[in-house]
Amino acid sequence: MPTHEKILLKNMDQPGYTGSLKDYEAVGGYQALRRVMKELAPADLIDIVKQSGLRGRGGAGFPTGVKWSFIPKDYTGPKYLCCNADESEPGTFKDRQLMERDPHQVLEGIAIACQAIGAETAYIYIRGEFRLGAKILEHAIDEARQARYLGENVLSSGVPIQVYVHAGAGAYICGEETALLESLEGKRGMPRVKPPFPATHGLYQKPTVVNNVETLANLPHIVTRGADWFASIGSPPKSTGTRIFCLSGHVKQPGNYEVPMGITFRELIYEHAGGMRGEKPLKAFIPGGASASFLTEAHLDVKLDFESVAQAGSMLGSGGVTVMEEGTSMVWAALRLMEFFYHESCGKCTPCREGSSWLVQVLQRIVDRRGRMEDLQVLADLCQNIVGRTVCAFGDAEIAPIVGTLQYWRNEYEDLIRESTAISTTSKELPVLALNS
Amino acid sequence: MAESNNQDLVTLTVDGMTTSVPQGTLVIEAARQVGVMIPHFCYHPKLTPDANCRMCLVEIEKLPRLQTSCSTKVAEGMVVKSNVPHVDEARKSVLEFILANHPLDCPVCDQGGRCDLQDFSHQYTPTTSRFTELKRVFPKEYFSPLIETQMNRCVQCMRCVRYCDQVMDVKALAPSGRGTLTEIKHFSAHELDCEFCGGCVQICPVGAITSRLSMYDFRPWMLKRTDTICTYCGDGCHITIQKKQDELIEVNSTQGVGRNNGDLCARGFFGYHASVHPDRIMHPLIKQQDGRFAQATWEEALELVAEKFQGIKTAFGGNAFGGLVTSRCTNEELYLFQKFMRGVLGSNRVDSSARFGHVNGTLPLLSVQGTHRWTATFEDIVDADALLLIGTNITETNPITGLKVKQAVKQGHAILVTMESLLPARGTISNITLLATHHLPVRPDHYHIAIVGLIKSVLDNGLVDPGLETRAPEFFRAIKAAIDSTSWAHIEEVSGVSREVFSQSAHAFSSSTRGMIIVGQGVLRSPRGAEMVTNLLDFLILTGRHGQPGCGLCPLAEENNDQGAIEMGATAEFLPGPIAIGHHDTRQALSKLWEVDLPQEPASSLMEMFRDAQAGQVKAMYIVGENPVESLPQTGKIKEALESLEFLVCQELFLTETAQLADVVLPACSYVEKDGTFTNTEGMVQPVRQAIDPIGESRPDWEIFSALSVVMDQPMEYGEARDIFKEIRSVIPGYGLVGPVATRPTPKVDVVQQYLQEGFAHGLATRYVCTQDQPASDTPFLLASTQSLFHSGKFSTRSKGLLQIQSSGAIMLNPSDAKKLGIASGDSVCVSNAHGAVTTIARVLNRIPPDVACFPEHFDQDIRCLFELHIDKESHVPYSKLTWVRLERVEKGDV
Amino acid sequence: MKFGEWVKTLIFYEILMGMKATLTHLLHYKPITLQYPHEKKPLPPNYRGMLALLRYDDETEKCVGCDLCEAACPSRVIQVYSAEVPGEPTKRYAKEYYMDMTRCLFCGQCVDACPVDALGMTQEFEWAVYDKRNLQLNKQQLLAIGDRAFPVREKRIEFQHPNVAYFNVSFGDIPQKDA
Repeated sequence: MPTHEKILLKNMDQPGYTGSLKDYEAVGGYQALRRVMKELAPADLIDIVKQSGLRGRGGAGFPTGVKWSFIPKDYTGPKYLCCNADESEPGTFKDRQLMERDPHQVLEGIAIACQAIGAETAYIYIRGEFRLGAKILEHAIDEARQARYLGENVLSSGVPIQVYVHAGAGAYICGEETALLESLEGKRGMPRVKPPFPATHGLYQKPTVVNNVETLANLPHIVTRGADWFASIGSPPKSTGTRIFCLSGHVKQPGNYEVPMGITFRELIYEHAGGMRGEKPLKAFIPGGASASFLTEAHLDVKLDFESVAQAGSMLGSGGVTVMEEGTSMVWAALRLMEFFYHESCGKCTPCREGSSWLVQVLQRIVDRRGRMEDLQVLADLCQNIVGRTVCAFGDAEIAPIVGTLQYWRNEYEDLIRESTAISTTSKELPVLALNS
Repeated sequence: MAESNNQDLVTLTVDGMTTSVPQGTLVIEAARQVGVMIPHFCYHPKLTPDANCRMCLVEIEKLPRLQTSCSTKVAEGMVVKSNVPHVDEARKSVLEFILANHPLDCPVCDQGGRCDLQDFSHQYTPTTSRFTELKRVFPKEYFSPLIETQMNRCVQCMRCVRYCDQVMDVKALAPSGRGTLTEIKHFSAHELDCEFCGGCVQICPVGAITSRLSMYDFRPWMLKRTDTICTYCGDGCHITIQKKQDELIEVNSTQGVGRNNGDLCARGFFGYHASVHPDRIMHPLIKQQDGRFAQATWEEALELVAEKFQGIKTAFGGNAFGGLVTSRCTNEELYLFQKFMRGVLGSNRVDSSARFGHVNGTLPLLSVQGTHRWTATFEDIVDADALLLIGTNITETNPITGLKVKQAVKQGHAILVTMESLLPARGTISNITLLATHHLPVRPDHYHIAIVGLIKSVLDNGLVDPGLETRAPEFFRAIKAAIDSTSWAHIEEVSGVSREVFSQSAHAFSSSTRGMIIVGQGVLRSPRGAEMVTNLLDFLILTGRHGQPGCGLCPLAEENNDQGAIEMGATAEFLPGPIAIGHHDTRQALSKLWEVDLPQEPASSLMEMFRDAQAGQVKAMYIVGENPVESLPQTGKIKEALESLEFLVCQELFLTETAQLADVVLPACSYVEKDGTFTNTEGMVQPVRQAIDPIGESRPDWEIFSALSVVMDQPMEYGEARDIFKEIRSVIPGYGLVGPVATRPTPKVDVVQQYLQEGFAHGLATRYVCTQDQPASDTPFLLASTQSLFHSGKFSTRSKGLLQIQSSGAIMLNPSDAKKLGIASGDSVCVSNAHGAVTTIARVLNRIPPDVACFPEHFDQDIRCLFELHIDKESHVPYSKLTWVRLERVEKGDV
Repeated sequence: MKFGEWVKTLIFYEILMGMKATLTHLLHYKPITLQYPHEKKPLPPNYRGMLALLRYDDETEKCVGCDLCEAACPSRVIQVYSAEVPGEPTKRYAKEYYMDMTRCLFCGQCVDACPVDALGMTQEFEWAVYDKRNLQLNKQQLLAIGDRAFPVREKRIEFQHPNVAYFNVSFGDIPQKDA
């Protein structure tokens, strides 16, 4: 197995590393922030990040430096940085580890990003269930504030940077950046209509940058070791650096693996994660969280970078790789994911709200062997009608499992339906949704 | 909307048609302008775009996916396509999604027939559905006796929620649940408790929120609409009365129409049943020897009235007649009434209910700036950058003017200074003081000293218009001297407001360029009302805002046609115009037109009439729609005065206490049964149209005056109300000739000049003198008779819809006072003073200030006995809204 | 003139031939006039006769008072006054229902318009009356016609499909409209 240098998980891999400020300073922590406060002008910092080729690790993969540069330069009022720690994507658990095991790395990244965009206040919007993470972060913020890495006067530079932790209330949609901002403002967590984009009208209608935890955690390393160093890792020029992939499903060693971008799925699954559980052949895998479409065994040699995965018809997304072995019912898998999306659809826009409930009911019927052949057309049509017509990207995400499974395993659907026609030709539906359960 | 010049125009193409629209216009609006109707549910011009229904998707060239036209702003050279097949497909798919869970209960849905979803379904979707699963069903939620909700029909467009928040500022509705299980709910477990503006009912595109008042009574295609004007306050809202045969079904209003732009309040939306109350007088009534009324024919009644009137006129002359008319009448009727009194009966004793307060606003305006109307319009309120509200919880008394204030503050970020007794506390209905940037909490009897404080701050802080001192040195010096006689210590002590707050407010107001003062009933209907208004005009002059565009002092009218009553000359001191009663040329002209000699006797106002009646000088009175026995306290001895009359004619809708004293009662029509015009508080003359046939044998008031004049052989004959209006136009040239916006008179330069030279001196000796009415130790509470949002006068208490919201009065108290007295909401309370004792129910409300108790005037039949009557020496306005009382808790057993 | 023609002339052959059908019929006499009212013609099943209001199998009225029949009627026969069912809050029904049969064209558009199949056309047609006022039918009369003409009744609509289970139902726990 080839070894790669880890960047983000390096500190916590050291024996005895607790993630405290002392430990973090011992491994050279907050040196990047010192450099940023003393030597680097915000414009230079943005240039460095642009040159490093760092792209957002939350899902969409938007270049971070470019995102920062959208903040109006001449704006004098308050600006905000939001750290998106609402990690709710099924199969993704990287941010949690970063926050719980090495919180100062994230905080340093936040401070650097604040300095880059001129924000004096940063909010960490953390998933409500991450109670431990929130506690650890709050403790770390206290430590950093006392050590003057955060607070009224960061490193005696006269710049204030205040960081607050805000826990969500358990809605997947609040991982969407505008819904996150709404929720942070105290409103119902529902995505906003774009444009205007958060870069100009974000939190409290002020310019705001929303970055993922992993993205921010990369910043201290880029500042310390230079943009060229970072740009040389992975598969330049488009996908630089390392990424943490969260392996789950039928693999021998599930967990977080930090690897440079550009290795293949085969390497990731069979070398890093130890191969398939029970040595069964691989049937399917999700490359980037539940919102990404399924890929098959044939795609094992696809490179783990943004472009290659997109070319294969899926997306790298949040880096949650869920592996399924031969014998998994893909219809059931689609239903399971669809149930999640149905439960999490915020209900703001019609296609997603009504479509998710309709799709889940049809899938449930097929799985319950009460399906009809026409249902497959209905499923395909509904997916077609949802994609691209919703307020946020949730609509595109929720149809991914169905589109993928219909594409590669249509026969499984047909088999289930054939079984059902053998049982009954007329449909006498039973309630699928408990009324206001 | 700001006027746009050519540079701001953007040219775009919609379905092949090219148009130019102002920058910032939404695509859906631009399309509407070229006649392309883009289907939508969640979009509404009054609300911020939410783009949640996805129905308005259109293709915009060069943009990757379909865009929502309701949230996309136009751009130069944009090419929009709404009639291409894949846009149609997208709409069909959205409708299919909406119809998936929408119940098919159109046959029993009150919206069926005027439902957006129904219309679009007919336009886009096939009649069969591919949805074979089970539909989502919500448990039934009971909202209120007036609003019916059926959440299964909801399309989650959130229009109601956004309307309630953005327009009304009430925030009574909210979505609850997630995804398909999102439903609109009100807060807390009890029934909906809000302003009941009906906005959610009007704005719902489907049948999810409907009116329970008219539930199942109609189908939309049966309704005949009549556009008319609401009678419940001076705002003059456009309402559309919907009737089925001769039954009133509902009232609504149309966006973009009228002064209210489609917004209504509870009174307008739910109050329409007052006109068809079963207690309406159906026939003329003549009092018999035994004191009981007997039904009579119109001929008998009119002949009796004519005969008696003739007899009294011959015996005692015209001056023996007194006439009182309600400002709820149309302009035509008010004009004809004063013509009848002055021309036919030959009496100058004419007055109307404008006397109860509105003259306090108009007289100072006339004497200071020569106008009887506002010098600003509702649009100016919206565009104002500073508003000073004095003595009015405007959201309750004039709700639609209140909406303009809300809009100015919420959207225009105007500075709002409120001088009000109410505290800024949240409640179930909106409270304007919550929106205030500067709030001066002043007890209802301290407005005068607070106004003095405000002027003093202007003088002390050097905020005076720089040119004023050279322009009008005498005025400046005299006012300064008058103000200086009151010390800050005294002002702070009495008003309870600190000097800093006064100066902050004065600074805030003076820093604006478009500043308006809105004066409400708290000032106009309380002692020294006219003096306070004059002082406020001085304040405007001192700050240099007087006569500037978009600035002015605006007295709010309480009754719908208070302004018209003054303009029609139905008040003692005015001839139609209004022109002062002694104006020679006008008298000549009127004599010629009416072909009579106008009476020479001095005019006498309302209270003088009653005084003279008791003295035996007034022998007969003609009271139209007014009920002085009930609306004035017993100390005024109105009943005794009326009983001493030889002959009393009442023209009424209901057999009120006053009408019961009458010798003849003539049944009149309410506003829904007659044509005419109303003049609203800002001076906009608007047409009133007949919606239903007169109830019983009742007739429009003008017809009765006309018939009576014919019987009395001095005919004033008109074919229809419009003929009277023509005559009004010949008396007041150009009256009512208005476009969509009210005319905005400017202060007359010569009158203002005259005021600044010497006119200010009139009354200056007294009007800045601060007097203080100390409470006696045994009556520590100031009881104020206030207006409620849900009622207007006593008329609305006959409306079954409004009675379901508020059916009785309760004495409203501050929690701290209630705690001191050991009173909780719902307890019985004894309210007493030297005049008597009344037991009523208590209601504890956070917004009531300490040491003050409020009681709604609409239900004050019993509690009225505690009030005293004061008469303004200058404007002869009777005041009876404030008194001192003590409160005691009464055990249930004692009652 | 040939002999045969002569004989034909003699025996008025043409007349006989002309009378052939008549004479044949004389022999096989079968009356086709229906002896109405003693005899009645069988009516086709879709015969558009007297209108009637129908009930469900549990005796409840089908009509929900939606007024669609009134709207569909080309000759303004129908007048519906809808209201909330007393004792069953939020349920809608026709409080009063009138048909002026003097004007009815029997076009059947009201039956087509009815969303709940509450109207039916019976096979009754013997509605000649001496007093036209007897053709002004109210709800009770129309229901009575339905009762005698349609003895077989449908199940309630909510038992026919689960998706209309919540169509026009009452909610006992909320107050009546004009409580």
